Amino acid sequence: MRIFGLLFLLCLFSFGIVWMRIEINRSGRAIGQLQNEVEVKEARNQYMELEISRLSSPENISRLSHEKLGMVEQEPHRVVLLKDK
Amino acid sequence: MYRKTVSAPFVFNIKNRMRWAGLLFLLAPLVIFVRLFYLQTFMHEEFSSKAERAIYNYLAEDRVRGKILDVNGRPLAESVRTHSCGISKRYVKNKDKVVDFLAKTLDMPKKRILEKWDHAKNFFFVAKKIKPDKYIEIMEFLRTPDGQGMELTPEYERIHPYGESALDVIGAANSKNLGLSGIEQMFNRELSQDISKKRVKRARRGQIIYDRKLKENVSVANIYLTLDEIVQYYAETALKKAVESVGAEKGIALVQEPSTGKILAAASYPITDGQSLAFQFTYEPGSTFKTIGISAALDAGTVSITDSIPMEGRKWEVAKGVIVRDNQHDKAYLTIPEIMQLSSNIGAGKIAVELGPKNLFYYIKAFGFGSKTDINFNGESKGSVAPYTTWTKVDTASKGYGYGVAITPIQLIGAYSAIANGGVLMQPHLIDRIEYSNGKIEKKSKPVKIRRVLREETAYTMKKVLQSVVENGSGKHAQIKGYNVAGKTGTAEKLSKEGGYGKRSHVVSFCGFAPVSDPKFTILIILDNPSKYTFGGTAAAPVFKEIASPLLALKGIPPDQLDF
Repeated sequence: MRIFGLLFLLCLFSFGIVWMRIEINRSGRAIGQLQNEVEVKEARNQYMELEISRLSSPENISRLSHEKLGMVEQEPHRVVLLKDK
Repeated sequence: MYRKTVSAPFVFNIKNRMRWAGLLFLLAPLVIFVRLFYLQTFMHEEFSSKAERAIYNYLAEDRVRGKILDVNGRPLAESVRTHSCGISKRYVKNKDKVVDFLAKTLDMPKKRILEKWDHAKNFFFVAKKIKPDKYIEIMEFLRTPDGQGMELTPEYERIHPYGESALDVIGAANSKNLGLSGIEQMFNRELSQDISKKRVKRARRGQIIYDRKLKENVSVANIYLTLDEIVQYYAETALKKAVESVGAEKGIALVQEPSTGKILAAASYPITDGQSLAFQFTYEPGSTFKTIGISAALDAGTVSITDSIPMEGRKWEVAKGVIVRDNQHDKAYLTIPEIMQLSSNIGAGKIAVELGPKNLFYYIKAFGFGSKTDINFNGESKGSVAPYTTWTKVDTASKGYGYGVAITPIQLIGAYSAIANGGVLMQPHLIDRIEYSNGKIEKKSKPVKIRRVLREETAYTMKKVLQSVVENGSGKHAQIKGYNVAGKTGTAEKLSKEGGYGKRSHVVSFCGFAPVSDPKFTILIILDNPSKYTFGGTAAAPVFKEIASPLLALKGIPPDQLDF
């Protein structure tokens, strides 16, 4: 009887290990998916930052200031720098 | 006599039943055990390789290549994560749905996908460099039963947010994270580190199962250049306009901060990945080199600033049959400033001969000509200065006005910066700093004095001489209202294929600095082989003004002229 009891415990223990492995895999898969989503969002964010860089490039700002705001570059001797008090 | 033994009759009682049941129960695990033993011992290799293929995948470590930025942290080259979408035909359940979906999502003709399908044995790539928004759509479809057989593989794309700006310096890197040219190649180790492959567990549909061992701290560096994107923009814009207006084959614009040696802009036109003409182009400089010979003679004391040089009727016979002519003036004598203002070859040649080959050679080498700079850009040329022992009198004279030497733009701008600096040659810098992800910062652009080339008084005199060139001489198109500008023009004929110097092919240039009282920028402009015959004063000097004016305004440098 004792042997059967031990066998039963062994089976239970084995089941526990198998169940744990399955759970680890399942969680790993879920984390993997979440990680993927984070990476995609990070990549999307990076694209947006790059778009900001592109839009704020000297070439773009110079073009927009000329075309949309009618601004012109001033001769350097006309520039007066105001100092912070 | 013997005793007959009689075995006890088998009784099918509870105890025996339990024994038999126990044996039966043990039999099944025993069979399994024997089978497992057989598989583990005799079939080990076959099954482990099957499992390896089915469960595990080998992935390149997910390391993003470091960024290349300008001195103020504006990104010049950056890697972004994209994906490749592929199909494993054998796992696809619904071909029509998969093809329809991909054609619609990736804006691809269905026919093209079907062509690829027909040509592939099993796996094929449908599209590469898929951006995050499309990736999400594909990912969602991939999780449905219809999406079986589709695969998404991460990869990287090198992006240049400012387009072609400074691409000649930055160079190129491929999607496998390898630098191919320019800074990308020079600093490939720092930008990419060593990328190894890792074994990861994979789910049925190809997703990677998270493993904490995958998360590893990697130390990839960002490279900060000394280039300032705004200065680079002005240099590139002005250079492009000038090259196109004179129909030049190529052009170079370099901007340096004389006090530190930092290169603020290095523009080449037309732009080729990793081929920066600022470091690789060699040419005979012509009159911009007169500054070297004359400052050397002033420093050595073989001439003084008040001396007048006889012009020999504007026809000087250097050696028998070799005549140097000045057609741009009709004066019998020229002072040193006049020689520079009128760009007299006779004057510069005579001064060089008076200085002597040994002294001239010493100063040329001291200014850094004939040797590579420590920038060590890929393919950087050291130019060519022959040893003075081989020079004839004609060679010495011609070196005085910039012929018979081959130099690079980075060497010439360094020499002019040395004069702007009060006679000290500075080490030029292209890399400002390297920042590692672990927080370590390696500063690369600390000002380094290479040597004193000229005495301070000589440098001061030369500044005034060069200023007079812009005020009264060939460089007046470089004048900026309110500022004292110093510089020298150059128009050099190129060696023709037939031998000798041809009028058809020439290089025009201007090198100068401003403001003279406290120079902030040294700028060199070179236009190679213009289709129209032009001069340094009319083609290159205005480019100096076009680049320097906005820089003086942007940096808030006040005028140094009192009365303008």
